[in-house]
Amino acid sequence: MSDAITVNVERQSGLLRELSVIANNIANASTDGYKRDAAIFAEYISTRENNPSVSIGALRAHYTDLAQGNLVQTGGTFDLAIDGDGWFAIAKNGELHLTRAGSFILDRNSELVTPEGYPVLDESGKSIRIPEGASNIVVATDGTVTADGFGVGQIGVLTTDSEGLSRAGDNLWTTTGAIRFAEFPQLRQGFVEASNVSAVEEMARLIEAQRMYEAGAALQTDEHERITQFIEALGGR
Amino acid sequence: MNPLNIAATGMAAQQTRVATIANNIANMSTTAYAARRAAFADLLYRQEVTPGVLSSRTGTIVPGGIQLGSGVRTASVVAEQTQGSFQTTNGDLDLAVEGRGFFDVELPSGERVYTRDGRFSLSPDGLIVTAEGFPVSGGIAVPEVARSISISAEGQVFAVFNDGTPPQEIGVIGITTFANDQGLEALGGNLFRETEASGAPLGGFAGIDGAGFMRQGFLEESSVDVVSEIADLIEAQRGYELNSKVMTAADEMLAATTRIR
Repeated sequence: MSDAITVNVERQSGLLRELSVIANNIANASTDGYKRDAAIFAEYISTRENNPSVSIGALRAHYTDLAQGNLVQTGGTFDLAIDGDGWFAIAKNGELHLTRAGSFILDRNSELVTPEGYPVLDESGKSIRIPEGASNIVVATDGTVTADGFGVGQIGVLTTDSEGLSRAGDNLWTTTGAIRFAEFPQLRQGFVEASNVSAVEEMARLIEAQRMYEAGAALQTDEHERITQFIEALGGR
Repeated sequence: MNPLNIAATGMAAQQTRVATIANNIANMSTTAYAARRAAFADLLYRQEVTPGVLSSRTGTIVPGGIQLGSGVRTASVVAEQTQGSFQTTNGDLDLAVEGRGFFDVELPSGERVYTRDGRFSLSPDGLIVTAEGFPVSGGIAVPEVARSISISAEGQVFAVFNDGTPPQEIGVIGITTFANDQGLEALGGNLFRETEASGAPLGGFAGIDGAGFMRQGFLEESSVDVVSEIADLIEAQRGYELNSKVMTAADEMLAATTRIR
């Protein structure tokens, strides 16, 4: 295969995967606490003996945009948003997960859980139980939960290095980095953090990826024709 | 074919959202209707290059990795059991719960179900029943000779007579609360049923253990905020269109692939 085709195939497959990334961003444009993903293309030098090296542009990594989404007012008692840095701590199958999606509900035991039923953890890593029959529940900006004036717990807000974060689905993330308590968490009760996907930007990326792909396909066709002509020219002798 | 499927999950999610909004708007005048909200969650990720592993090419730790998502799903559509505003009707048997809790209603099958719709009336037998004719709180019989009915904030029902006899307590309308109101199963007809998620019904009386007080002569209005529903509707429609654009783009890119020869 000619170098032009090798280089182009890598680029095309990267663009197809970038389209998946964009499609996933747009599909999650209404997902609470969703963080936009972007594909990073990087140069990759292919070196072969007695041959000039070839520079290949390939999809090498992902970049997750952890910028804060808009805080949307919902008025729900257990709709919580973190203004600024920090993550809610969630226990899923005994493991610590993180989330920015704060539309929580109570389960049958009056414990604070995510819509999937995973418990929300407090400062000491335990689930938070709201007393049955409590009518006036207030969550302070530091995460302290009071029911009818009595403190019942403090919602844990953690920070971690963005490098170790990995997506786990269900709006949850896992981390391999160090976990610390956020020093001055700013919780907003009655708000939910919306997805940080910007429709306009994603559309622009979508069109760009599509046109690049089409250009790549055209190049492939041209290269094919070039080789065909070359073979015909040689064979015609 | 991946982008096509992802866009399809996005379109399905927006469709669920529109259906939820349509139902909310349709119920904007339903007594004690609680607005629903759809919440979404991202699907599983395909880990092509896990973040944090050592890169074979450069020997450094991969900071971002490559995780390809597979779309979105509806995580929940839950009723936000917020208090609607009160509408004055002055009806003797119009009741509103101010605060948490539900009236308990008996179906003909004997099953207990729960409602916040307090538009009650009298059955031919003189029982207090819902608009559909199901007895409230086990059936409270109102004497035929009673002139009117007076219901206290705690739910005690008094029959008031014409002939000067003192008002007589004929029963109590109870208020049932749940650990998790949002876990109740909606049956239609403004009725809810207990589920595993809601927890067991905690039978009680108005004003006790967090249950709200009763207000005679009022009805609770639907808690649907039409303006925010319309704003949501526009957003959902645009979201749907965006996903369809992704589908078109993916289709055109695949078409470009088939044109290569």
